[in-house]
Amino acid sequence: MVFQSPSAALRHRYERRSRRLEVAREIRESLVSLAGLLGRPVRHAGGEVIGKVVDIIVRWDTDEPYPPLSGVVVKVGARRAYVPASAVASVHQREVILATARMSLLDFVAREGETALASGVLDHQLVDIDGARVVRAADLYLATVGAEVRLVGVDVGFGSLLRRLGPARFRTRPTPEAVIDWASVHSFGPDESEGGARLARHRGELNTLRPAELADLLEDLGRRERHELLDLVEPDTAADALEEMDPKELHQLLAETEIGKAARLVARMEPDEAADALRDLSEEDRSALLAALPQKDAAALRSVLEFPADSAGGAMTTVLVLAHPEDTVAEVRNRLAGQAEHLVDLDAIIVVDGEGHLVDDISLVELLLAEPDTPLAELIGPPWPVTVTTEADVREVADRMIDARRLSVVVLDDEDRPLGRILADDVLDAVISGHRRWQFPRTR
Amino acid sequence: MASPTTPEQVAASEGESPSFPVRPRRRRWWRRALLAVAFAGPGLVAANAGNDAGGIATYASAGAQFGYRTLFLMVLITVALVVVQEMCARLGAYTGEGLGALIREQFSLRVTAFALLAFLVANVGLVVSEFAGIAAALELVGVSRYISIPVAAVVIWVLVVYGSYRYAERVFLILSLAFLAYPIAAVLARPNLTEAGSQLIWAHFVGSKAFLLLAVALIGTTITPYMQFYIAAAIADKGIGPDDYGKERVDAVGGAIFADLISIFIIVATAAAIKTRAPLATAAQAAQALRPVAGRFASQLFALGLLGASSLAAAVVPLSTAYALSEAVGAERSVGKSFREARLFLGLFTGQVVIGASVALIPGNLIQLLVQAQVLNGLITPILLSYVLVLANRRSLLGKAANGLIFRVIATACVVVIAIMAVAVLGLTVGGWFGIG
Repeated sequence: MVFQSPSAALRHRYERRSRRLEVAREIRESLVSLAGLLGRPVRHAGGEVIGKVVDIIVRWDTDEPYPPLSGVVVKVGARRAYVPASAVASVHQREVILATARMSLLDFVAREGETALASGVLDHQLVDIDGARVVRAADLYLATVGAEVRLVGVDVGFGSLLRRLGPARFRTRPTPEAVIDWASVHSFGPDESEGGARLARHRGELNTLRPAELADLLEDLGRRERHELLDLVEPDTAADALEEMDPKELHQLLAETEIGKAARLVARMEPDEAADALRDLSEEDRSALLAALPQKDAAALRSVLEFPADSAGGAMTTVLVLAHPEDTVAEVRNRLAGQAEHLVDLDAIIVVDGEGHLVDDISLVELLLAEPDTPLAELIGPPWPVTVTTEADVREVADRMIDARRLSVVVLDDEDRPLGRILADDVLDAVISGHRRWQFPRTR
Repeated sequence: MASPTTPEQVAASEGESPSFPVRPRRRRWWRRALLAVAFAGPGLVAANAGNDAGGIATYASAGAQFGYRTLFLMVLITVALVVVQEMCARLGAYTGEGLGALIREQFSLRVTAFALLAFLVANVGLVVSEFAGIAAALELVGVSRYISIPVAAVVIWVLVVYGSYRYAERVFLILSLAFLAYPIAAVLARPNLTEAGSQLIWAHFVGSKAFLLLAVALIGTTITPYMQFYIAAAIADKGIGPDDYGKERVDAVGGAIFADLISIFIIVATAAAIKTRAPLATAAQAAQALRPVAGRFASQLFALGLLGASSLAAAVVPLSTAYALSEAVGAERSVGKSFREARLFLGLFTGQVVIGASVALIPGNLIQLLVQAQVLNGLITPILLSYVLVLANRRSLLGKAANGLIFRVIATACVVVIAIMAVAVLGLTVGGWFGIG
């Protein structure tokens, strides 16, 4: 839940990487700036100018980390023509030289698995996976690797923006001050309405991101990019990330997500986090979402939603493992194994009598240390659980926790039956929400 | 034996349990109030942002100087405002992006830079007017502007940067509600209804430089570039998509009309209260319009409202400008993280506050400074409207939701008329420097 981003370690990583890419002048000479190349002449082998560079097309659908050149869009007179990579001899900083002396000009049509760099990637959002941050491409660098021209890096420096604003003659000079290796970049496909093909290639690297990092990315991306990213990661990873998101951003995300997909995500979230997300939705959206959820998830959520957010009932998680005094430790351990997905929400099991009244709660450590065939009845004893009622204020809950030095409290209904549990981290969220991290007030 | 072991079972038994009381929700009063504000859609909030310090000064000035004669203009401006706000709302809903990011992605970098520069200049103008508003409000209660402006600048900067701004914002918001007294004042002042009515319908134009200047100020304060960026971003941020757009359109159009009704009331109330037709010289004069409601406390009521509205906007305008620019430059990441990471953002915010406060400190007539800042906005409005128009026309961006032929004609006409007026004012002003006109 708490993530100081970007950490000093990450910053160090960016710096080291930038330094590495700055090293030699030769590198700078061999890089071709896409922004600089636009509008530059396309020449025949003989040197005669046939048109100007409008866009560079690369192939995405390969597994290679650096997308190879697929063709060049050239403006010939008033027409936009397409020159395939096979007809391109070389790409320089200030010009493109064709291999043939004459060639037929094809009209440009966007094809599946290809993307136009100038219109679809330059100036658009990208994800820097290594740095776990969203960037906007200020420039793209191409380089000749072996026989092929490939997209090798993305420039995110402010200097490159200034260079592009300046006079044309400086525009072609690469200024690699903050360059990210393309191999660690996730790029989004062009919009369907722009005639491009959506890039749905799954990048395994995305799943290496921590949920909190993924949450930050989701918050920073535009709507289309956000949903593409959400579709690309594993559903469980996505649900974990949603739990880490800022409540306001999460509310926005759920509001704009198609109902079926939103329901699938919410169903995978922990009930207390999911309830927090649903609380802010409009009445209409909330009931639509609850209706789309599986019956049992919806019932669990409804029970938490009954209570105001700052009461014990609103802050509790309904994930409980209940047991009876005559159950053995081994039986309870087996039951716990079935709850592995909820492990972060469990720190103890609850013992109830035949009518469902609370008897005691037994910490997981106690269970771990006990012999497998011990009945739970032998473990019952002090320290007795700290209990609160559903309407208790979270600050009151915090006080009780501090007094008793416990990591969780049990929430009871009027008849002393356990309803849920509040863990210390949830109380922290509730008590210091808004101060969690330094933030400018959002005003839009 | 069947014992409840899983959360699902617990939850299910709970749902059926009759002993499970549903407790009334305890909410603090301000939360309930906030909820009500939340129901006011982005369209309503955005359009009413036009009724800030600069707006009040300009509308009051219009009423004082030209009586009911600008009412007809307000009707035309309302049509344009509805058209513009609807386009911006549509862009926000269909693309899910703010105008800053959209312009960056859809136009070349140079064209983007020009738009953002224009936006920045217009908003710095607004910040100047907000500080002038704070000074004018506090002068009404006898505080010199050379004390009030520096103190206000420091207080606002500290509140925003050290994160306690949220609480201050509520206070400012409540103070600015004082201006709701205007419609009542307009009715109580017994305005000349025949004249007001005929001026509202009858198309006319007063052929003087002062009228043209004021017309551009009215446009600038009603169709502020700031509002266009705000509505698009607010809609995108609320997660309103194409499916919910029907409802949002009602909000955008209704909000624009409601905001302009308030503006018209301000003009009417001032025109009825002030009989000598001359440009407003002081805030005390403008406050006379509230006399039918507040009697001898009219000045104090006006000062409270002006202080609230100005302080609110003096923080909000530079903040959202910094957001829009950071977004376009690609520094989204840095916003709202930490001091060190947010250098660009913090620099933009601080710069605007410093420039705004400094310009407002220059000796001169505060009310006229407020109006002049709106003229600057009026000059820049057509530039940014052209971008909005191009974006909303773009089928590659909005698909079927792009402007249709008829809408395109109306919207283009609005932008062209506004542009012609802006160019005329610019020509007259530049000509004035060389002694022409």
